[in-house]
Amino acid sequence: MRDGWDDEQLLGALREAMRAREAVPSWFVEMGKNAYAWHNIDAELAQLTYDSQADTELAFVRSEAASIRALTFTSAHLSIELEVGKDSLLGQVIPPQAGTLETYTKAGQTTSLVDESGYFAVEPIPPNPFRLRFRTSDGADVVTGWITL
Amino acid sequence: MRDDPTVVALVARAAASDQDAWDEIVDRYAPLVWSICTGFRLTNHDIEDVAQNVWLLLVGQLGTLREPAALPGWLATTTRRECLRVVTASRKSERLGTELDEAAQFVADTVVDEEILVAERNAALRAAFAELPPRCQQLLSMLLRDPPCSYGTISATLDIPIGSIGPQRARCLERMRKSSALLGLIEVGVNFPGGDPSA
Repeated sequence: MRDGWDDEQLLGALREAMRAREAVPSWFVEMGKNAYAWHNIDAELAQLTYDSQADTELAFVRSEAASIRALTFTSAHLSIELEVGKDSLLGQVIPPQAGTLETYTKAGQTTSLVDESGYFAVEPIPPNPFRLRFRTSDGADVVTGWITL
Repeated sequence: MRDDPTVVALVARAAASDQDAWDEIVDRYAPLVWSICTGFRLTNHDIEDVAQNVWLLLVGQLGTLREPAALPGWLATTTRRECLRVVTASRKSERLGTELDEAAQFVADTVVDEEILVAERNAALRAAFAELPPRCQQLLSMLLRDPPCSYGTISATLDIPIGSIGPQRARCLERMRKSSALLGLIEVGVNFPGGDPSA
């Protein structure tokens, strides 16, 4: 390559580079840019540690009983348990504590209350993908990764 | 390529809350993330899932990336890992055989390194193109169309004599070749697509 590219090679390489860029849908690029909104947010990340749908052992049971999908997100200090109902998400923060639960979607953000027992409901079910962020008055701040149901 | 100063500077600026720098990182490397996702034959739904997590992880690690110059490699590895996660999840729920697993592993092992080189080369080429004067960009864009515009059309559109299209094309390409974005690439000796340029 020390000799560099001749004109045809350079033009060909440029064509390929432009095509690679054109192949990417604009929604994909926008989504990447929007992720920056999460820069400097000091919340602890809660990772998905359980998903009933991904659990092969339960697959048979689920098909028989059409059981409710359950997900668990775990951070170092607490976990958020979720059940996907017909029209709403029901959940509980463990250990139980009161606070607020913010639901982030591409369209914006809504807030639900979490009661003393850690229970909350998000209604209707937010459009995919969404994130949940739990905060308490004494400074707990935990956010899940993007969730796609 | 590991010492690409542009990438290091972009990461530093993005870590210091510069949205423009972040946008440029996404513009440069979205094609890399996209091509890895499509290489795994994911649905758009799954691609969205993967990419959300990849960019989110990067946002969270901007200040602590061990080697900012290796960002393309980091992105490729992270995207590959997220794709495998999605593929594994769908395999479990659909109870597909092991072929998909093997296919995914094959893709993961062989394609990514090549993918990173191509992505870096393409990003450098697009950056070099963006540095050209508007006139050069117009001319080269018309030549890059598929099929390319005829010299007659170019002459009429850009209002230049047919006889000077060839020389202008050569000057624009030479200018591109000498741009800082491309100089680093050529020195490092990244292969051009399709074989040995001296052949």
